Amino acid sequence: MSFTITEPHHKPVVQAESDEIVSGIVARQEDTRNNAAAVRTQHSFGSRFSGHVVLAIVALVSIFPVYWLYATALRRPEDATRSTPFPWPISFENFTHVWHQIPIGGMLYHTFVMALCVSVCQLLVAIFAAYGFALWDFPGKSILFLLFLGAWLVPFQVTMIPNYVTIAHWQLLGTVAGVVIPNMCSAFAVMLMRQHMQAFPKELVEAAHMDGRNRWGILWKVVLPNMRPALAALGIMLFIEAWNNYLWPTLILSKKPDSLIQIGVRSFLGEAGDDWGAMMAAAGLACIPIFLIYIFLQRYIVDAFVRSGLR
Amino acid sequence: MSFTITPVPGQERYERIAREGEAAVRRWRKPPIAPYLFILPAIALLVFWIYRPLIETFQLSFYHWNLLPTAPKQPAGLSNYTALFHDRELGKAVINTILYIAAFLVCSVILPLVIALMSRRVSGRARTIYQALVFVPFLVTPVATSAVWRWLFDPYDGVIVVVLRKGFGIDIGSVFRSDHGALIAIIIIVGWQMLGFGVLVMTAGMAGISPDYAEAASVDGASNSTILRRITVPLLSPTILFLALMTILLSAQWTYPMIDVLTQGGPDNATTNIYYLLYEIAFNNFDAGMAGAAGTVFFLVFGAIAVLLVKLSDKLAFYDN
Repeated sequence: MSFTITEPHHKPVVQAESDEIVSGIVARQEDTRNNAAAVRTQHSFGSRFSGHVVLAIVALVSIFPVYWLYATALRRPEDATRSTPFPWPISFENFTHVWHQIPIGGMLYHTFVMALCVSVCQLLVAIFAAYGFALWDFPGKSILFLLFLGAWLVPFQVTMIPNYVTIAHWQLLGTVAGVVIPNMCSAFAVMLMRQHMQAFPKELVEAAHMDGRNRWGILWKVVLPNMRPALAALGIMLFIEAWNNYLWPTLILSKKPDSLIQIGVRSFLGEAGDDWGAMMAAAGLACIPIFLIYIFLQRYIVDAFVRSGLR
Repeated sequence: MSFTITPVPGQERYERIAREGEAAVRRWRKPPIAPYLFILPAIALLVFWIYRPLIETFQLSFYHWNLLPTAPKQPAGLSNYTALFHDRELGKAVINTILYIAAFLVCSVILPLVIALMSRRVSGRARTIYQALVFVPFLVTPVATSAVWRWLFDPYDGVIVVVLRKGFGIDIGSVFRSDHGALIAIIIIVGWQMLGFGVLVMTAGMAGISPDYAEAASVDGASNSTILRRITVPLLSPTILFLALMTILLSAQWTYPMIDVLTQGGPDNATTNIYYLLYEIAFNNFDAGMAGAAGTVFFLVFGAIAVLLVKLSDKLAFYDN
């Protein structure tokens, strides 16, 4: 069964059920993989080989720029422009140079705090809204939900000027709060969360209600504990999006090059000229947290991004 | 033998409890204000940060204003709109936006379709590794993406330029200084980022198709290409249309960081697009009115395209069930 492939741990039955819902797509993938295994004999050696060749080339093209980024950063500064495939001898001088040149540690810290605030706010707001949408019928529900769908159609650039004026009016220009506050609600997170909550077994909620729990208690004690994988996946994804957000932070913090990593590295790119080693080191540091998350929590991330594509 | 049900002692009590339980559930399902309270924060934020500014943008388009809080807003009638349509850069920006969208449709729909089809030939673990690698570009922070590609395209030591020069005798020179070169470079960079996302979504869509159909067709003697054309692609149409819609709506935004860091729309507006143009009107020329007009027009055009595509997908899409 697919469930044993994706979640090999022992879990209470309820948790296992909702986990299975959550890993639905991954599980489906596994299912067809098993089906494919049955059919695989049809694929000749030649077709499998050509498949490997094409995929290997695509994977290589995808990964090469990232590899080259770190390869250049890890060369000695005097070797920066060499194009030998492997950086040797390895040196961390570019990193220490950048570390002393710009306050990149502080930038990483600020960006981390900003992304954490944004993702936690978006997650909480989405949890509440999704809970309201998924578990009850009420007058005006479809119209209210249409507001969330419609938000997807409003390009960021169209709302940018009035929001900029508002933030300036509140005297939050140049502050991280000015980056966080307009981004506290993600319509997309609400819709994704609603999908998860709709899949949650209603019988459990009703049973808890008859046991005398109120709605607030049911949300925290019954619904959310059973949705941990989904929450983790969505939370990670929102964090990555907040970290990689570019336009709004550059507008709000344009005069503060020491604030967030996007702005700091951008202004460093302008100053560094041809010092490619240092530039690659700064760029490499800017995405290290995301890569670490990806390496350790890859299953969640892929699951979340795939879901985002299958609304 | 008769099947009449004789009342069991105590059954009445059970029925009463069941009735009360149902009533409790009904009360739960039809609460007075609870759902509104749960939804309130999201709605309030959404209205304040998306729908209010949308309306304000529309209002701004009828005024002249330089974004300074102290400066007065002068009524402008429709002059912002006429100025926008006579803007020399608008034509270029629209053409480029269409070019970008066309190119990105290849990167986020057609190539992922081919790659997802290819990856069906490869077994589980290898496929997972390939997909994990292909997805990496999508996660790279925009400034880092711009930095590394500027380095790869460096006219003296950039590895792409060096390999093309030494291996193929082609000198592409300073890519970001030439009109076509810069446009193609931006397309390559953003396409590189979007490919992994497309592959992932397409693979998931493909995994959702039951293999029974293909098997049945194959038993009936259909060839592989017929199965692909008549079964796989039609069943994938919701995924394909979703990716297409996403590309059309978001490609102008995805290109923004690259344009901003690498070319600033240049050389000579060769790489600008409508949203970069909007940004320039607003924050370089401080013409809030014209930016409002541009925002209103772009919103309406893209909204119309989106609604059209959704209608089309309802009509064209084949569903499994």
